[in-house]
Amino acid sequence: MINASTIIWGYVYTSIIVIIVLTIYGMATRPNIVKKLIMLSILSDTGNLLAVVIGVRSGFIKPPVFPGVTFTNILEPGMEELSKFAEEAVDPLPQVLVVTAIVIGLAVLVFLGYVALLLYRKYGTLDVRLIEVIRKNGGE
Amino acid sequence: MVEKRNNLKELIIAVASSVLVVVLMAILVMSNTIIIPPAERNRPLASMFLMMTYNWDLKELWSASPEVVTSILWDYRGLDTVYETSVFFLAIIGSIALVRSLKVPNMLPSKYSGMSVIAKTVTKLTLAAIPVIAASIALHGHLTPGGGFQGGSVFAVASLLAIIALGTPFLIARGWSKDKLLTLRTIGLVLIAVIAILVPLIGFLRKDVLSTYIMQNQEKPWAPLGIGYVFNIFGYNILYSGTLFFLNIAEFLAVSAGLSLVFIILGLPTKTIEEGGDIRK
Repeated sequence: MINASTIIWGYVYTSIIVIIVLTIYGMATRPNIVKKLIMLSILSDTGNLLAVVIGVRSGFIKPPVFPGVTFTNILEPGMEELSKFAEEAVDPLPQVLVVTAIVIGLAVLVFLGYVALLLYRKYGTLDVRLIEVIRKNGGE
Repeated sequence: MVEKRNNLKELIIAVASSVLVVVLMAILVMSNTIIIPPAERNRPLASMFLMMTYNWDLKELWSASPEVVTSILWDYRGLDTVYETSVFFLAIIGSIALVRSLKVPNMLPSKYSGMSVIAKTVTKLTLAAIPVIAASIALHGHLTPGGGFQGGSVFAVASLLAIIALGTPFLIARGWSKDKLLTLRTIGLVLIAVIAILVPLIGFLRKDVLSTYIMQNQEKPWAPLGIGYVFNIFGYNILYSGTLFFLNIAEFLAVSAGLSLVFIILGLPTKTIEEGGDIRK
C-alpha cells in the first residue's frame, strides 16, 4: 500500500543513498585533498544520519530517557510505567553508536587535516596529481 | 603536465560506488533493519534495554540510570567506548606529534586581531553561556539526553568560536597553552582508565578482587562489590548512577581539552605554521 508516509520515508532513504554515492565518487575522483576531506566528513555524517533514521519509529517519538528523574527527584517506576516507557521511546542503540562516532569522526578528520597541512608545507600544493609529478621528478 | 581527466575511469568509479551502496542498502532492507515506513513497535533488543536500565525490581541487571543511551554506552557496551576513546587518544596525539616542532608563539591580543567590534561583542556574550551549557550537559549525562562526549564537543565549539571571532591571542593571553591543555586531556584519559578499573581496585583493597569485573558499575549477586547509586548529603538523596557520573566528567575533560588544543594549533597564523618546524629545507 502506498501512502504519504511510505513516499516520505522512501524519499529520505533515497536521498541518503544518493549522498553516500556522491561522496564516495567525489573522494575517488577529486584531485584536491581538501575536497576529499570535505567528502569524507559528509560521508561520515550521512552514515550517522542513516543510523539515527533507522532507529526512528512511526507514531511515538520520545527520547530514550525515563522522564521526570532529576538529581534529587528519584522515581521508582513499577513494571507498568516501564512498559509504557518502552513502548513510547525510540530505539536507543543507533544513538549510542552515533554518540561516539561523531567525536571520533571529528578527531580523525582533524588528524587528516594536519596531514594535509604537512603535505602543503612539503610540496606547496594539495593536488595529488601535482604531488605525483613532483615525486616522479625527484623533487622534494 | 597534468594529464587530462580520464572519463572512462570516472564512469567506472561512479557505477561501482552506486552498485556498492545499493547492494549494502538492499542487504539492510532484506534483513528487516530498514523498514519503510518505520515500524510501530521497537525491536526486541531495544525494548529489552529500555525495560532493563532503570528497573528497580531487576537490580541484578540494571545500571541505576534513567538515561538509556549513557547506560548502554558505559554499562552494557563499555569495551566499545573504551576502544573508541583510545582511537580519540591516538588521533589527537598523532596530530600533535605531526606538528611537534611547532611552537605556539606568545602573542598579545591587539585591537586588530579577530573580527569586527560587533562580532567580538556578540561572541563575548555567547562565550559565557556555551561552557555553562556544556557543563550542564556533561553533569546531567546520566539523567537527561547528553553526556561527556556531547558536553565536550559543545565546549570545543566555544573555543573554536573564540579562535575565529576574537583571534588565537585572546585564548593564549588567558593562559591556554599547549602544555596545559595536553595535561588536562591526559588527566581526563587517566581518569577514564581509573574508572574502568575502579571496582576491581576497591576489591583489591578489600582483598576480594576475584569477585569483581573490569568496568563493573552496579553490584551483582555473583559480584557483590559496587560503588552504589545514591549519595546522601544534607538530608537529600542525590542520584549519581555509579560510575556513569564520573565517566561523564572525565570524558568531558578529555574531549573538550583535546579538541580545543587541536583547534588552537590549526588556528595559528599561516606565517607561524609555514616557518615553524624544519620540514622544508
